[in-house]
Amino acid sequence: MDIKFQRVGKKYESGQEALSQVSFHLQQGEMAFLTGHSGAGKSTLMKLMMMIERQTSGQILVDGVDLRTLSRRAIPQHRRRVGVVFQNHQLLFDRSIFHNVALPLQVGGADPQQIAKRVRAALDKVGLLDKEKQNPMALSGGEQQRVGIARAVVNKPQLLLADEPTGNLDPKLSAEIMNLFQEFNRVGVTVLIASHDLALVARMRHRVLTLNQGRMVNDGGFG
Amino acid sequence: MAQKPNQRGATRESVKPTQHSWSKSSSFSLGKYLRLHQTTLTESFLRLLTYPLASIMTVMVVAIALSLPGGLYVVLKNVQSVTDQWEQQSVITLYLFPTLEDTQALALSHRISAQDDVASVEYISKEEGLRYFEQSSGYEQILSSLPENPLPIVLRVIPKGAVEIDTLPKLQALRDQLANQNEVEHAELDAQWLQRLANILSFGQRFVYGLSVLLVVAVFLIVGNTIRMAVESRRDEVLVMKLVGATDAYIRRPFLYMGFWFGILGGFLASLCILGLSWWVSVPAERLIELYQSGFQLQTFNADEIVLSLLVSAFVGVTGAWIAVSRHIASIELQ
Repeated sequence: MDIKFQRVGKKYESGQEALSQVSFHLQQGEMAFLTGHSGAGKSTLMKLMMMIERQTSGQILVDGVDLRTLSRRAIPQHRRRVGVVFQNHQLLFDRSIFHNVALPLQVGGADPQQIAKRVRAALDKVGLLDKEKQNPMALSGGEQQRVGIARAVVNKPQLLLADEPTGNLDPKLSAEIMNLFQEFNRVGVTVLIASHDLALVARMRHRVLTLNQGRMVNDGGFG
Repeated sequence: MAQKPNQRGATRESVKPTQHSWSKSSSFSLGKYLRLHQTTLTESFLRLLTYPLASIMTVMVVAIALSLPGGLYVVLKNVQSVTDQWEQQSVITLYLFPTLEDTQALALSHRISAQDDVASVEYISKEEGLRYFEQSSGYEQILSSLPENPLPIVLRVIPKGAVEIDTLPKLQALRDQLANQNEVEHAELDAQWLQRLANILSFGQRFVYGLSVLLVVAVFLIVGNTIRMAVESRRDEVLVMKLVGATDAYIRRPFLYMGFWFGILGGFLASLCILGLSWWVSVPAERLIELYQSGFQLQTFNADEIVLSLLVSAFVGVTGAWIAVSRHIASIELQ
Protein backbone atom coordinates (compact mmCIF):
# COMPACT_ATOMS: atom_id res chain seq x y z
CA MET A 1 0.00 0.00 0.00
CA ASP A 2 1.28 3.40 -0.98
CA ILE A 3 0.54 6.21 1.47
CA LYS A 4 0.99 9.88 0.84
CA PHE A 5 0.32 12.61 3.44
CA GLN A 6 0.15 16.11 2.01
CA ARG A 7 0.16 18.96 4.54
CA VAL A 8 -2.20 17.01 6.78
CA GLY A 9 -3.55 18.68 9.87
CA LYS A 10 -5.84 17.42 12.64
CA LYS A 11 -7.46 19.79 15.02
CA TYR A 12 -9.78 18.35 17.67
CA GLU A 13 -13.00 20.04 18.62
CA SER A 14 -11.40 20.99 21.91
CA GLY A 15 -9.08 23.21 19.89
CA GLN A 16 -6.08 21.01 20.47
CA GLU A 17 -3.96 20.70 17.34
CA ALA A 18 -2.68 17.12 17.18
CA LEU A 19 -1.06 17.33 13.75
CA SER A 20 -0.18 20.21 11.50
CA GLN A 21 1.29 20.39 8.01
CA VAL A 22 2.44 16.76 8.09
CA SER A 23 3.77 15.53 4.75
CA PHE A 24 5.49 12.27 3.92
CA HIS A 25 5.35 9.50 1.39
CA LEU A 26 5.46 5.85 2.44
CA GLN A 27 5.95 3.78 -0.65
CA GLN A 28 4.53 0.38 -1.41
CA GLY A 29 6.63 -2.24 0.40
CA GLU A 30 8.48 0.26 2.58
CA MET A 31 9.10 -0.11 6.29
CA ALA A 32 9.40 2.90 8.57
CA PHE A 33 9.32 3.90 12.21
CA LEU A 34 7.37 6.74 13.69
CA THR A 35 8.88 8.25 16.80
CA GLY A 36 8.26 11.18 19.08
CA HIS A 37 7.30 11.95 22.64
CA SER A 38 3.94 10.88 23.89
CA GLY A 39 1.45 13.44 22.72
CA ALA A 40 3.52 14.25 19.64
CA GLY A 41 0.73 12.95 17.38
CA LYS A 42 1.87 9.39 16.58
CA SER A 43 -1.43 7.80 17.52
CA THR A 44 -3.43 10.48 15.75
CA LEU A 45 -1.46 9.86 12.57
CA MET A 46 -2.24 6.15 12.75
CA LYS A 47 -5.89 6.82 13.47
CA LEU A 48 -6.06 8.92 10.31
CA MET A 49 -4.65 6.01 8.33
CA MET A 50 -7.27 3.68 9.88
CA MET A 51 -10.01 6.24 9.27
CA ILE A 52 -10.78 6.19 12.97
CA GLU A 53 -10.35 9.95 12.77
CA ARG A 54 -10.58 12.27 9.78
CA GLN A 55 -8.07 14.99 9.06
CA THR A 56 -9.20 18.59 9.30
CA SER A 57 -6.85 19.83 6.56
CA GLY A 58 -4.60 18.47 3.86
CA GLN A 59 -4.87 15.30 1.87
CA ILE A 60 -4.20 11.62 2.55
CA LEU A 61 -3.77 9.49 -0.54
CA VAL A 62 -3.87 5.71 -0.20
CA ASP A 63 -2.88 4.00 -3.44
CA GLY A 64 -3.74 7.31 -5.09
CA VAL A 65 -7.23 7.49 -3.56
CA ASP A 66 -8.07 10.50 -1.41
CA LEU A 67 -9.44 9.16 1.88
CA ARG A 68 -11.80 12.13 2.11
CA THR A 69 -13.70 10.74 -0.88
CA LEU A 70 -14.48 7.52 0.99
CA SER A 71 -17.90 7.43 2.64
CA ARG A 72 -18.62 6.06 6.09
CA ARG A 73 -19.84 2.87 4.47
CA ALA A 74 -16.50 2.37 2.74
CA ILE A 75 -14.55 2.45 6.01
CA PRO A 76 -14.88 -1.28 6.88
CA GLN A 77 -13.56 -2.24 3.46
CA HIS A 78 -10.60 0.10 3.94
CA ARG A 79 -9.83 -1.33 7.37
CA ARG A 80 -9.75 -4.87 6.02
CA ARG A 81 -6.75 -3.87 3.94
CA VAL A 82 -4.91 -2.58 7.00
CA GLY A 83 -3.62 -4.73 9.84
CA VAL A 84 -3.16 -3.07 13.23
CA VAL A 85 -1.26 -4.09 16.32
CA PHE A 86 -1.78 -2.22 19.56
CA GLN A 87 0.26 -1.98 22.68
CA ASN A 88 -2.67 -3.14 24.77
CA HIS A 89 -3.33 -6.07 22.40
CA GLN A 90 -7.12 -5.56 22.19
CA LEU A 91 -7.61 -9.30 22.45
CA LEU A 92 -10.94 -10.75 23.49
CA PHE A 93 -10.74 -12.97 26.53
CA ASP A 94 -14.11 -14.63 26.00
CA ARG A 95 -12.78 -16.83 23.20
CA SER A 96 -9.81 -18.94 22.24
CA ILE A 97 -6.68 -17.69 20.54
CA PHE A 98 -7.87 -19.31 17.34
CA HIS A 99 -11.11 -17.32 17.39
CA ASN A 100 -9.33 -14.10 18.23
CA VAL A 101 -7.15 -14.46 15.16
CA ALA A 102 -10.10 -15.58 13.04
CA LEU A 103 -12.08 -12.40 13.72
CA PRO A 104 -10.92 -10.33 10.70
CA LEU A 105 -11.72 -13.26 8.40
CA GLN A 106 -15.15 -13.90 9.96
CA VAL A 107 -15.98 -10.24 9.60
CA GLY A 108 -15.18 -10.52 5.90
CA GLY A 109 -17.38 -13.58 5.58
CA ALA A 110 -14.71 -16.10 4.59
CA ASP A 111 -15.74 -19.74 4.62
CA PRO A 112 -14.78 -21.80 7.67
CA GLN A 113 -12.21 -24.01 5.94
CA GLN A 114 -10.43 -21.01 4.52
CA ILE A 115 -10.53 -19.36 7.94
CA ALA A 116 -9.00 -22.40 9.67
CA LYS A 117 -6.23 -22.62 7.09
CA ARG A 118 -5.31 -18.96 7.28
CA VAL A 119 -5.55 -18.73 11.07
CA ARG A 120 -3.20 -21.69 11.47
CA ALA A 121 -0.77 -20.20 8.95
CA ALA A 122 -0.76 -16.91 10.88
CA LEU A 123 -0.37 -18.62 14.26
CA ASP A 124 2.40 -20.79 12.86
CA LYS A 125 4.11 -17.64 11.67
CA VAL A 126 4.16 -16.13 15.17
CA GLY A 127 5.06 -19.48 16.76
CA LEU A 128 1.81 -20.09 18.63
CA LEU A 129 0.23 -22.84 16.56
CA ASP A 130 0.27 -25.27 19.49
CA LYS A 131 -1.75 -22.84 21.64
CA GLU A 132 -4.65 -22.14 19.33
CA LYS A 133 -7.24 -23.64 21.70
CA GLN A 134 -6.06 -21.71 24.75
CA ASN A 135 -7.56 -18.52 26.09
CA PRO A 136 -5.28 -15.50 25.47
CA MET A 137 -5.52 -14.74 29.18
CA ALA A 138 -3.26 -17.76 29.81
CA LEU A 139 -0.45 -16.28 27.71
CA SER A 140 2.48 -14.06 28.65
CA GLY A 141 2.64 -10.44 27.49
CA GLY A 142 4.94 -11.26 24.60
CA GLU A 143 2.76 -14.13 23.48
CA GLN A 144 -0.35 -11.97 23.66
CA GLN A 145 1.38 -9.42 21.49
CA ARG A 146 2.15 -12.15 18.98
CA VAL A 147 -1.51 -13.19 18.92
CA GLY A 148 -2.30 -9.55 18.14
CA ILE A 149 0.20 -9.66 15.29
CA ALA A 150 -1.26 -12.90 13.96
CA ARG A 151 -4.69 -11.25 13.97
CA ALA A 152 -3.29 -8.21 12.17
CA VAL A 153 -1.74 -10.25 9.36
CA VAL A 154 -4.28 -13.07 8.99
CA ASN A 155 -6.23 -11.08 6.43
CA LYS A 156 -3.07 -10.51 4.32
CA PRO A 157 -3.21 -6.75 4.73
CA GLN A 158 -1.33 -4.43 2.44
CA LEU A 159 -0.41 -2.14 5.29
CA LEU A 160 0.63 -3.12 8.78
CA LEU A 161 0.38 -0.47 11.49
CA ALA A 162 1.78 -1.05 14.95
CA ASP A 163 1.30 1.39 17.82
CA GLU A 164 3.98 0.80 20.47
CA PRO A 165 4.01 -2.95 19.83
CA THR A 166 6.93 -3.50 22.21
CA GLY A 167 5.78 -1.12 24.91
CA ASN A 168 5.61 -3.62 27.77
CA LEU A 169 8.18 -6.12 26.58
CA ASP A 170 11.77 -6.78 27.56
CA PRO A 171 14.51 -6.12 24.96
CA LYS A 172 14.79 -9.74 23.83
CA LEU A 173 11.04 -10.10 23.20
CA SER A 174 10.99 -6.66 21.58
CA ALA A 175 13.66 -7.72 19.13
CA GLU A 176 11.69 -10.87 18.28
CA ILE A 177 8.57 -8.84 17.59
CA MET A 178 10.53 -6.42 15.41
CA ASN A 179 12.00 -9.31 13.46
CA LEU A 180 8.48 -10.53 12.78
CA PHE A 181 7.51 -7.17 11.33
CA GLN A 182 10.62 -7.22 9.21
CA GLU A 183 9.66 -10.58 7.80
CA PHE A 184 6.24 -9.32 6.80
CA ASN A 185 7.89 -6.35 5.18
CA ARG A 186 10.17 -8.65 3.24
CA VAL A 187 7.16 -10.23 1.52
CA GLY A 188 5.87 -6.89 0.37
CA VAL A 189 3.70 -5.49 3.16
CA THR A 190 4.09 -1.78 3.87
CA VAL A 191 4.92 -1.43 7.57
CA LEU A 192 4.74 1.57 9.86
CA ILE A 193 5.65 1.16 13.53
CA ALA A 194 5.14 3.84 16.16
CA SER A 195 7.64 3.51 18.95
CA HIS A 196 9.42 5.67 21.47
CA ASP A 197 12.14 3.07 22.02
CA LEU A 198 14.82 5.02 20.17
CA ALA A 199 17.62 2.52 20.82
CA LEU A 200 15.59 -0.31 19.30
CA VAL A 201 14.55 1.88 16.37
CA ALA A 202 18.15 2.81 15.72
CA ARG A 203 19.21 -0.83 15.65
CA MET A 204 16.61 -1.70 13.02
CA ARG A 205 18.14 0.62 10.41
CA HIS A 206 14.98 1.72 8.70
CA ARG A 207 13.56 5.03 7.74
CA VAL A 208 12.49 7.06 10.77
CA LEU A 209 9.78 9.69 10.86
CA THR A 210 9.87 11.91 13.93
CA LEU A 211 6.97 13.97 15.19
CA ASN A 212 7.27 16.80 17.65
CA GLN A 213 4.17 18.61 18.84
CA GLY A 214 2.28 17.55 15.77
CA ARG A 215 4.90 18.51 13.24
CA MET A 216 7.18 16.28 11.21
CA VAL A 217 10.65 17.33 12.37
CA ASN A 218 12.73 14.53 10.87
CA ASP A 219 12.23 12.19 7.95
CA GLY A 220 15.19 10.07 7.06
CA GLY A 221 17.45 7.13 7.75
CA PHE A 222 19.07 6.34 11.04
CA GLY A 223 22.78 5.50 11.36
CA MET B 1 12.73 -16.82 17.75
CA ALA B 2 13.35 -20.47 18.33
CA GLN B 3 11.18 -22.07 15.67
CA LYS B 4 11.91 -19.51 13.03
CA PRO B 5 13.43 -21.67 10.28
CA ASN B 6 10.38 -23.88 9.79
CA GLN B 7 8.03 -20.91 9.88
CA ARG B 8 9.44 -19.14 6.91
CA GLY B 9 7.74 -21.32 4.36
CA ALA B 10 4.33 -20.70 5.83
CA THR B 11 4.92 -16.98 5.89
CA ARG B 12 5.73 -16.61 2.25
CA GLU B 13 2.50 -18.35 1.42
CA SER B 14 0.21 -16.64 3.84
CA VAL B 15 1.27 -13.03 3.91
CA LYS B 16 2.19 -12.21 0.35
CA PRO B 17 -0.06 -9.25 -0.37
CA THR B 18 0.15 -9.51 -4.13
CA GLN B 19 -1.84 -12.75 -4.20
CA HIS B 20 -5.14 -11.04 -3.53
CA SER B 21 -6.84 -14.32 -2.86
CA TRP B 22 -8.84 -12.52 -0.18
CA SER B 23 -10.72 -10.61 -2.82
CA LYS B 24 -12.52 -13.80 -3.73
CA SER B 25 -13.87 -14.30 -0.23
CA SER B 26 -15.00 -10.71 0.10
CA SER B 27 -17.23 -10.88 -2.95
CA PHE B 28 -20.94 -11.38 -2.36
CA SER B 29 -22.61 -14.74 -2.72
CA LEU B 30 -25.99 -15.95 -1.50
CA GLY B 31 -24.58 -19.15 -0.03
CA LYS B 32 -22.10 -17.20 2.03
CA TYR B 33 -24.81 -14.82 3.17
CA LEU B 34 -27.14 -17.62 4.27
CA ARG B 35 -24.32 -19.45 6.02
CA LEU B 36 -23.47 -16.27 7.89
CA HIS B 37 -27.08 -15.95 9.05
CA GLN B 38 -27.31 -19.56 10.05
CA THR B 39 -24.13 -19.32 12.08
CA THR B 40 -25.30 -16.11 13.74
CA LEU B 41 -28.65 -17.72 14.54
CA THR B 42 -27.09 -20.63 16.40
CA GLU B 43 -24.30 -18.57 17.95
CA SER B 44 -26.73 -16.00 19.31
CA PHE B 45 -28.80 -18.80 20.83
CA LEU B 46 -25.75 -20.37 22.44
CA ARG B 47 -24.81 -16.96 23.77
CA LEU B 48 -28.16 -16.74 25.55
CA LEU B 49 -27.25 -19.97 27.29
CA THR B 50 -24.03 -18.48 28.63
CA TYR B 51 -26.15 -16.17 30.80
CA PRO B 52 -29.01 -18.56 31.48
CA LEU B 53 -30.56 -16.75 34.43
CA ALA B 54 -30.63 -13.31 32.80
CA SER B 55 -31.92 -14.81 29.55
CA ILE B 56 -34.65 -16.81 31.25
CA MET B 57 -35.77 -13.77 33.19
CA THR B 58 -36.03 -11.64 30.07
CA VAL B 59 -37.88 -14.39 28.23
CA MET B 60 -40.28 -14.73 31.16
CA VAL B 61 -40.98 -11.02 31.36
CA VAL B 62 -41.67 -11.01 27.62
CA ALA B 63 -43.89 -14.08 28.04
CA ILE B 64 -45.93 -12.55 30.86
CA ALA B 65 -46.33 -9.29 28.99
CA LEU B 66 -47.55 -11.20 25.94
CA SER B 67 -49.77 -13.70 27.74
CA LEU B 68 -51.90 -10.94 29.29
CA PRO B 69 -53.35 -9.67 26.00
CA GLY B 70 -53.29 -13.25 24.67
CA GLY B 71 -55.34 -14.49 27.63
CA LEU B 72 -57.82 -11.63 27.37
CA TYR B 73 -58.15 -12.38 23.69
CA VAL B 74 -59.10 -15.98 24.52
CA VAL B 75 -61.67 -14.77 27.07
CA LEU B 76 -63.15 -12.44 24.48
CA LYS B 77 -63.22 -15.21 21.92
CA ASN B 78 -65.19 -17.40 24.31
CA VAL B 79 -67.68 -14.69 25.19
CA GLN B 80 -68.24 -14.11 21.50
CA SER B 81 -68.72 -17.78 20.79
CA VAL B 82 -71.23 -18.03 23.66
CA THR B 83 -73.30 -15.19 22.28
CA ASP B 84 -73.08 -16.63 18.78
CA GLN B 85 -74.81 -19.73 20.04
CA TRP B 86 -77.60 -17.95 21.83
CA GLU B 87 -80.38 -18.90 19.52
CA GLN B 88 -82.91 -16.57 20.89
CA GLN B 89 -85.65 -15.22 18.77
CA SER B 90 -86.25 -11.56 18.75
CA VAL B 91 -89.59 -9.90 18.21
CA ILE B 92 -90.69 -6.77 16.46
CA THR B 93 -93.87 -5.50 18.00
CA LEU B 94 -96.11 -3.38 15.77
CA TYR B 95 -98.75 -1.16 17.42
CA LEU B 96 -101.35 -0.29 14.80
CA PHE B 97 -103.49 2.84 14.75
CA PRO B 98 -106.51 2.40 17.11
CA THR B 99 -108.87 3.51 14.35
CA LEU B 100 -107.87 0.62 12.14
CA GLU B 101 -110.49 -2.01 11.29
CA ASP B 102 -109.85 -5.71 11.90
CA THR B 103 -109.97 -6.48 8.17
CA GLN B 104 -107.30 -3.92 7.35
CA ALA B 105 -105.15 -5.22 10.17
CA LEU B 106 -105.52 -8.79 8.98
CA ALA B 107 -104.58 -7.78 5.46
CA LEU B 108 -101.43 -6.12 6.79
CA SER B 109 -100.66 -9.21 8.84
CA HIS B 110 -100.90 -11.40 5.74
CA ARG B 111 -98.77 -9.01 3.75
CA ILE B 112 -96.02 -8.99 6.36
CA SER B 113 -95.98 -12.73 6.88
CA ALA B 114 -95.46 -13.12 3.13
CA GLN B 115 -92.14 -11.24 3.40
CA ASP B 116 -88.96 -13.31 2.95
CA ASP B 117 -87.29 -12.14 6.13
CA VAL B 118 -90.30 -12.84 8.35
CA ALA B 119 -90.87 -16.22 9.95
CA SER B 120 -94.33 -15.64 11.35
CA VAL B 121 -96.78 -12.97 12.48
CA GLU B 122 -98.93 -13.26 15.57
CA TYR B 123 -102.18 -11.32 15.48
CA ILE B 124 -103.35 -9.88 18.81
CA SER B 125 -106.78 -8.32 18.59
CA LYS B 126 -107.88 -5.47 20.88
CA GLU B 127 -109.84 -7.93 23.02
CA GLU B 128 -107.00 -10.35 23.35
CA GLY B 129 -104.75 -7.50 24.27
CA LEU B 130 -107.14 -6.32 26.92
CA ARG B 131 -107.45 -9.79 28.39
CA TYR B 132 -103.73 -10.20 28.49
CA PHE B 133 -103.28 -6.79 30.04
CA GLU B 134 -105.87 -7.51 32.74
CA GLN B 135 -104.19 -10.76 33.64
CA SER B 136 -100.74 -9.46 33.87
CA SER B 137 -100.93 -5.89 35.08
CA GLY B 138 -103.53 -5.95 37.85
CA TYR B 139 -105.22 -2.84 36.48
CA GLU B 140 -108.58 -4.60 35.91
CA GLN B 141 -110.54 -2.01 37.83
CA ILE B 142 -109.14 0.93 36.04
CA LEU B 143 -109.53 -0.80 32.69
CA SER B 144 -113.13 -1.79 33.36
CA SER B 145 -113.96 1.77 34.34
CA LEU B 146 -112.94 3.01 30.90
CA PRO B 147 -115.80 3.55 28.44
CA GLU B 148 -114.10 1.60 25.69
CA ASN B 149 -111.04 -0.57 25.07
CA PRO B 150 -108.09 1.80 24.63
CA LEU B 151 -105.69 -0.80 23.30
CA PRO B 152 -104.69 -0.99 19.64
CA ILE B 153 -104.38 -4.10 17.52
CA VAL B 154 -100.89 -5.50 17.91
CA LEU B 155 -98.86 -7.62 15.47
CA ARG B 156 -95.91 -9.59 16.85
CA VAL B 157 -93.52 -10.16 13.97
CA ILE B 158 -90.94 -12.91 14.40
CA PRO B 159 -88.02 -12.37 11.98
CA LYS B 160 -86.33 -15.30 10.32
CA GLY B 161 -83.05 -16.67 11.63
CA ALA B 162 -81.40 -16.57 15.02
CA VAL B 163 -80.44 -13.31 16.58
CA GLU B 164 -76.76 -12.57 16.41
CA ILE B 165 -74.77 -9.46 16.80
CA ASP B 166 -74.06 -9.42 13.09
CA THR B 167 -77.75 -9.50 12.22
CA LEU B 168 -78.64 -6.58 14.44
CA PRO B 169 -78.49 -3.98 11.63
CA LYS B 170 -80.68 -6.23 9.50
CA LEU B 171 -83.29 -6.42 12.26
CA GLN B 172 -83.18 -2.69 12.68
CA ALA B 173 -83.72 -2.25 8.95
CA LEU B 174 -86.72 -4.60 9.10
CA ARG B 175 -88.16 -2.66 12.00
CA ASP B 176 -87.78 0.61 10.10
CA GLN B 177 -89.43 -0.88 7.05
CA LEU B 178 -92.38 -2.12 9.11
CA ALA B 179 -92.68 1.19 10.94
CA ASN B 180 -93.11 2.92 7.60
CA GLN B 181 -96.32 1.01 6.86
CA ASN B 182 -99.36 3.33 6.88
CA GLU B 183 -101.26 1.16 9.35
CA VAL B 184 -98.44 1.11 11.89
CA GLU B 185 -98.33 3.77 14.53
CA HIS B 186 -95.26 2.49 16.33
CA ALA B 187 -92.79 -0.37 15.89
CA GLU B 188 -90.50 -1.67 18.57
CA LEU B 189 -87.58 -4.06 18.20
CA ASP B 190 -87.14 -6.12 21.30
CA ALA B 191 -83.39 -6.53 21.07
CA GLN B 192 -82.12 -4.23 23.72
CA TRP B 193 -80.23 -7.02 25.42
CA LEU B 194 -78.49 -7.68 22.13
CA GLN B 195 -77.49 -4.08 21.72
CA ARG B 196 -76.17 -3.98 25.24
CA LEU B 197 -74.15 -7.10 24.66
CA ALA B 198 -72.78 -5.70 21.42
CA ASN B 199 -71.69 -2.59 23.27
CA ILE B 200 -70.09 -4.56 26.08
CA LEU B 201 -68.26 -6.71 23.57
CA SER B 202 -66.96 -3.78 21.60
CA PHE B 203 -65.90 -2.18 24.86
CA GLY B 204 -64.09 -5.42 25.75
CA GLN B 205 -62.50 -5.58 22.34
CA ARG B 206 -61.18 -2.06 22.55
CA PHE B 207 -59.96 -2.68 26.04
CA VAL B 208 -58.05 -5.77 24.91
CA TYR B 209 -56.65 -4.00 21.85
CA GLY B 210 -55.54 -1.00 23.87
CA LEU B 211 -53.96 -3.19 26.51
CA SER B 212 -52.26 -5.24 23.77
CA VAL B 213 -50.72 -2.14 22.26
CA LEU B 214 -49.42 -1.07 25.67
CA LEU B 215 -47.98 -4.47 26.46
CA VAL B 216 -46.40 -4.85 23.04
CA VAL B 217 -44.72 -1.50 23.60
CA ALA B 218 -43.57 -2.86 26.95
CA VAL B 219 -42.03 -5.86 25.16
CA PHE B 220 -40.25 -3.47 22.78
CA LEU B 221 -38.77 -1.69 25.76
CA ILE B 222 -37.87 -4.85 27.66
CA VAL B 223 -36.11 -6.43 24.68
CA GLY B 224 -34.54 -3.12 23.70
CA ASN B 225 -33.16 -2.53 27.15
CA THR B 226 -31.81 -6.06 27.51
CA ILE B 227 -30.13 -5.82 24.12
CA ARG B 228 -28.68 -2.41 24.91
CA MET B 229 -27.09 -3.86 28.03
CA ALA B 230 -25.82 -6.82 26.03
CA VAL B 231 -24.16 -4.43 23.56
CA GLU B 232 -22.66 -2.48 26.44
CA SER B 233 -21.26 -5.63 28.03
CA ARG B 234 -19.66 -6.55 24.70
CA ARG B 235 -18.28 -3.10 24.05
CA ASP B 236 -14.70 -4.37 23.69
CA GLU B 237 -15.81 -6.90 21.13
CA VAL B 238 -17.70 -4.27 19.16
CA LEU B 239 -14.60 -2.06 19.16
CA VAL B 240 -12.30 -4.84 17.98
CA MET B 241 -14.76 -5.82 15.28
CA LYS B 242 -14.90 -2.25 14.05
CA LEU B 243 -11.12 -2.16 14.08
CA VAL B 244 -10.77 -5.23 11.89
CA GLY B 245 -13.28 -3.92 9.38
CA ALA B 246 -16.69 -5.22 10.43
CA THR B 247 -19.63 -3.36 8.96
CA ASP B 248 -22.29 -2.01 11.31
CA ALA B 249 -24.70 -4.53 9.81
CA TYR B 250 -22.35 -7.38 10.72
CA ILE B 251 -21.99 -6.15 14.29
CA ARG B 252 -25.72 -5.57 14.59
CA ARG B 253 -26.73 -9.02 13.34
CA PRO B 254 -26.05 -11.16 16.45
CA PHE B 255 -27.97 -8.66 18.59
CA LEU B 256 -30.92 -8.72 16.23
CA TYR B 257 -30.94 -12.49 16.46
CA MET B 258 -30.79 -12.17 20.22
CA GLY B 259 -33.93 -10.04 20.01
CA PHE B 260 -35.46 -12.65 17.75
CA TRP B 261 -34.80 -15.37 20.32
CA PHE B 262 -36.17 -13.29 23.19
CA GLY B 263 -39.28 -12.57 21.15
CA ILE B 264 -39.98 -16.05 19.85
CA LEU B 265 -39.14 -17.83 23.11
CA GLY B 266 -41.28 -15.31 24.99
CA GLY B 267 -44.10 -15.86 22.53
CA PHE B 268 -43.76 -19.62 22.86
CA LEU B 269 -43.84 -19.45 26.64
CA ALA B 270 -46.82 -17.09 26.49
CA SER B 271 -48.69 -19.57 24.28
CA LEU B 272 -47.90 -22.34 26.77
CA CYS B 273 -49.18 -20.14 29.61
CA ILE B 274 -52.44 -19.48 27.78
CA LEU B 275 -52.91 -23.17 26.91
CA GLY B 276 -52.15 -24.06 30.53
CA LEU B 277 -54.58 -21.49 31.90
CA SER B 278 -57.27 -22.62 29.47
CA TRP B 279 -56.79 -26.18 30.61
CA TRP B 280 -56.94 -25.06 34.23
CA VAL B 281 -60.26 -23.25 33.85
CA SER B 282 -61.67 -25.92 31.54
CA VAL B 283 -62.73 -28.24 34.40
CA PRO B 284 -65.10 -25.81 36.18
CA ALA B 285 -66.11 -24.35 32.83
CA GLU B 286 -67.22 -27.73 31.52
CA ARG B 287 -69.24 -28.37 34.66
CA LEU B 288 -70.94 -25.05 34.13
CA ILE B 289 -71.64 -25.88 30.50
CA GLU B 290 -73.14 -29.19 31.54
CA LEU B 291 -75.50 -27.41 33.92
CA TYR B 292 -76.77 -25.23 31.10
CA GLN B 293 -76.82 -28.21 28.75
CA SER B 294 -75.41 -26.02 26.08
CA GLY B 295 -73.52 -27.22 23.03
CA PHE B 296 -70.87 -24.63 23.76
CA GLN B 297 -67.23 -25.70 23.69
CA LEU B 298 -64.46 -23.89 25.51
CA GLN B 299 -62.17 -22.16 23.03
CA THR B 300 -58.43 -21.87 23.51
CA PHE B 301 -55.45 -20.88 21.36
CA ASN B 302 -55.62 -22.83 18.11
CA ALA B 303 -52.64 -23.67 15.91
CA ASP B 304 -53.10 -20.63 13.67
CA GLU B 305 -53.19 -18.31 16.63
CA ILE B 306 -50.08 -19.88 18.14
CA VAL B 307 -48.19 -19.45 14.87
CA LEU B 308 -49.43 -15.89 14.57
CA SER B 309 -48.42 -15.02 18.12
CA LEU B 310 -44.96 -16.51 17.54
CA LEU B 311 -44.57 -14.43 14.38
CA VAL B 312 -45.72 -11.28 16.13
CA SER B 313 -43.47 -11.85 19.13
CA ALA B 314 -40.46 -12.60 16.94
CA PHE B 315 -41.14 -9.45 14.96
CA VAL B 316 -41.48 -7.38 18.11
CA GLY B 317 -38.23 -8.86 19.46
CA VAL B 318 -36.25 -8.09 16.32
CA THR B 319 -37.69 -4.59 16.01
CA GLY B 320 -37.03 -3.82 19.66
CA ALA B 321 -33.47 -5.02 19.25
CA TRP B 322 -33.07 -3.00 16.07
CA ILE B 323 -34.18 0.22 17.69
CA ALA B 324 -31.88 -0.32 20.66
CA VAL B 325 -28.87 -1.53 18.73
CA SER B 326 -28.66 0.70 15.68
CA ARG B 327 -27.94 3.91 17.49
CA HIS B 328 -25.95 2.28 20.24
CA ILE B 329 -23.50 0.52 17.93
CA ALA B 330 -22.98 3.68 15.90
CA SER B 331 -22.21 5.52 19.13
CA ILE B 332 -19.45 3.09 20.10
CA GLU B 333 -16.50 4.61 18.32
CA LEU B 334 -12.86 3.69 18.26
CA GLN B 335 -10.79 6.12 20.26
